[in-house]
Amino acid sequence: MNCLEFRRQLAIYPQCDEVDFVQHRQECTRCAEACVHANTFEGSLRRALAVKTPPQLAESVLLAHATRQQRQRQHYRRGAVLALAACVALAFGIGMRVDASPLATQAVAHLRLEAEVLTWTKLVPAESVREAFATRGIALNSIPEGISFVGCCPMGRHMTVHAVMPGSGGPITVIYVLGDRVNEREDFRREGWLGRSVPMGQGTLLLLAEDTSQFDRIENIWRAALVGA
Amino acid sequence: MSLVSSKQRQFDALVRSLSGDLFRYGYWLCSDEALAHDLVQETFLRAWRALDNLRDTAAAKAWLITILRREHARLYERKTPQFTDVDEIDVADERDGQMPEFAGEENVIRNAMRKLDAKYREPLLMQVLGGFSCEEIARELKLTPAAVMTQLFRARQKLKTMLDCGDTKGALVHELS
Repeated sequence: MNCLEFRRQLAIYPQCDEVDFVQHRQECTRCAEACVHANTFEGSLRRALAVKTPPQLAESVLLAHATRQQRQRQHYRRGAVLALAACVALAFGIGMRVDASPLATQAVAHLRLEAEVLTWTKLVPAESVREAFATRGIALNSIPEGISFVGCCPMGRHMTVHAVMPGSGGPITVIYVLGDRVNEREDFRREGWLGRSVPMGQGTLLLLAEDTSQFDRIENIWRAALVGA
Repeated sequence: MSLVSSKQRQFDALVRSLSGDLFRYGYWLCSDEALAHDLVQETFLRAWRALDNLRDTAAAKAWLITILRREHARLYERKTPQFTDVDEIDVADERDGQMPEFAGEENVIRNAMRKLDAKYREPLLMQVLGGFSCEEIARELKLTPAAVMTQLFRARQKLKTMLDCGDTKGALVHELS
C-alpha cells in the first residue's frame, strides 16, 4: 500500500485494521501522523453526532406500545358493545349532555390508557422535566417539583407533555396541550375523574385527579413555570 | 403465555438498549427532535409486529435502523415538507442559545453535517452511528460497495472542506488532511 492508497482508506474507514494498512502506518511517519489526526476527528465526529436523547425515551416507547396493545384489545372487546350502545342511543333518542370539552374528553381517555404511570412514585430529576418541555419547544421559567412521570405523549392529534404529581390526596395528572387553547378556565367531571382545563400560554393546561383540593396550588405552580409569575 | 412473555421481554430489552441509538440516527435523518422521537416510537411499534422474524439478535440494530429509515421515507411520502435552502438559515444561531450541547467544536461539526448532502451524510451516519460495514451500507442503500466507499471518502472530504471554509476551529481542519 502506498501513501495515496493509505490516505484514501483513511478517509473511508479510519479504524481500518487490515494488514497492509497497519503495516504502512508503521512504516510511514507522515501517514501515521495523519492517522492520529483522522482518529481524533472521528472521536469529535462521534461526539458531535451523539445528540442527547429525550428523558425517559425508552419508557415512553414502552408505554406507547402497551397503550397500543391495550387499545387493540379494547377495540375488539368493545366493538360489539359500542355498536349495541349506539343503536340503543339512536333508537331511544337519548342525547348526552357533554359536560366537558373535547380536550378534556381526550385527556381522560389518555389517562385511562396510561393509568400505569399513576402508580409511579419515584420522582424524576428536574432536568428531565425541563428537557421534556424543551423537546416540545417550551422553555420553562421554573421547574415544578414533585413529578414522578414526565413524557412527551401524542394525545389524538395533539402534541402534549404529560406529567404526574403524586400527592396525599392521590396523584394529579397534568397534561399540557400545545397549540390548542381553550377559551376559558373550566372545571369538569368525566368518567369519575375531576378535572380542570385552563388556557395557559399557547396551549391548555389540563389537571385530572380524584379530588380537586390541590388544583389551585398546582395550577399556580404550572402558571409560574409556563408563563411566569 | 410464556411465548408472549418471552417476546415482550425481548422487546423491552431492545427498546431499553437501542432506543437511544435509534433516536440519534433518526435525529440526523430529519433534524427534528420531536419527529425523531416519534420515528423511534413508530419504529418499535412496527418492530413488535415483525419481532418473530428477527432470528439473529445481534442484527437487531441494523434491522431496526432499516425500519426507521423506511418509516422516515413513509413520513416524507405522507407529508410535503416545506423546504428551505439550508444556506438561507443559520441553524447554529438558532440553537446555540437554547441547548448547551450546541456549542463549541461539536457545534461546528454538527452544522457541517447538516449541510452535507443526504447521499453523503447517510452512509457516514450508518458507519459512525450504526456501526455498519461498507458491504452492509451498500446492501441497505442498494449501492455497490465501491460506490459506498467513494461516498464515505467524499463525505469526509466535504466535511473537511466545510470546516476549512468555516475556519472557526482550525484545529479540526488539519486532522482530516
